[in-house]
Amino acid sequence: MAPTEKRARMSWEFALPDALLHTSPGGAQDAAAGACDPAMENEAFAAFYSRSSRPLWAYLARSSADPALADDLMQESYVRFLCAAGAPALATDGEAAARLYLFRIATNLLRDYWRRPRAASIEEIPEEFFAVRGQAAQTDAQILLEPAMRQMKPRERQMLWLAHAEGYSHREIAKVMGLNAASVRLLLFRARRKIAALLRAHSADDGRKS
Amino acid sequence: MKLKSCRHENELRELMARGQWPDACPPELRAHVSGCRTCGDLVLISEAFQHARVESLAAARPVPPAVLLWRAQLRRRNAAVERIGRPLLGAQIFACAVALFAAVGFAGFEARSGVAWLTWSYWQDWFAQLPQAAVAQWDSLSSGSLAGSAWSWMVLVPALATLVLLGGVAVYFATDKQ
Repeated sequence: MAPTEKRARMSWEFALPDALLHTSPGGAQDAAAGACDPAMENEAFAAFYSRSSRPLWAYLARSSADPALADDLMQESYVRFLCAAGAPALATDGEAAARLYLFRIATNLLRDYWRRPRAASIEEIPEEFFAVRGQAAQTDAQILLEPAMRQMKPRERQMLWLAHAEGYSHREIAKVMGLNAASVRLLLFRARRKIAALLRAHSADDGRKS
Repeated sequence: MKLKSCRHENELRELMARGQWPDACPPELRAHVSGCRTCGDLVLISEAFQHARVESLAAARPVPPAVLLWRAQLRRRNAAVERIGRPLLGAQIFACAVALFAAVGFAGFEARSGVAWLTWSYWQDWFAQLPQAAVAQWDSLSSGSLAGSAWSWMVLVPALATLVLLGGVAVYFATDKQ
């Protein structure tokens, strides 16, 4: 099946003239549109969104360590997912495939963000960065994991989150990150060793302080 | 670095995924984890990440899905309009080039008679003679004596260009409909 045939037409697209909807000379979307109930399609997306948006935000926020950036990239990921001609259809390909595709878009957006040269002005930095948070208000996970995550490379953070928070297999991580499974296995093994050592060191420091 | 995996790793991973670690797992496995570095790392990291995940899920504030559907609609519509506008832009550039070519040709042809064409009276005469000239050009075109007349080319080139342009537009709409 061609990539364009996978995507069903959304309800809002029925308001557009056919000439505006052709994604290919074959006009494959028209064939898919006939079999699709737009209200159901929107409901399916809303359900998928309600199940996947929080995990995606968590992934982006923990990988980037910037909640505001995670908000922006999450929205952009979904918009790109909806616009992509080759995106897996929820009805036929299943939610797992759609979720992997979505995480892949988010991973690419993060990579683009990190590659982009920029100079942040002081107005652009969110206020949370300057807020002094009391140690008592922080949870165990924040106290232990955040300093360790800051010392990891972005790619390691992404891999560790996908493996240990989302529970993805090596093959799934490879799909999301555009690597091969053997590389993921090795990189993840190293990242796990590194973060385990950091977590142990931080907890030992905390033990000595208390 | 050498990859060292433990045979209990998968079992431990499954127990943690099911929420059976550490209370509902065999005591031998607990004893193994306390002595195995690979399994110890796995437990330490998985617990830390699972706690962080629960906190992050609670902290997320996703926008309503309708907003994203609307943004996607706008983006797709803009992309479609841009895609349709691309051949039109090409046609406009082509038309401008033809017009420019005709203007330069006309200016070149008129410049052969000196700088008189820059005066107002010259243009008054030129416009007054235009109807007769057009009839004469039509006669020369129909009689086939094109080679000697620069005027004929001045008429023929834009006419051919217009035909090509209209043909291109017709082909575009025909293929788009298919």
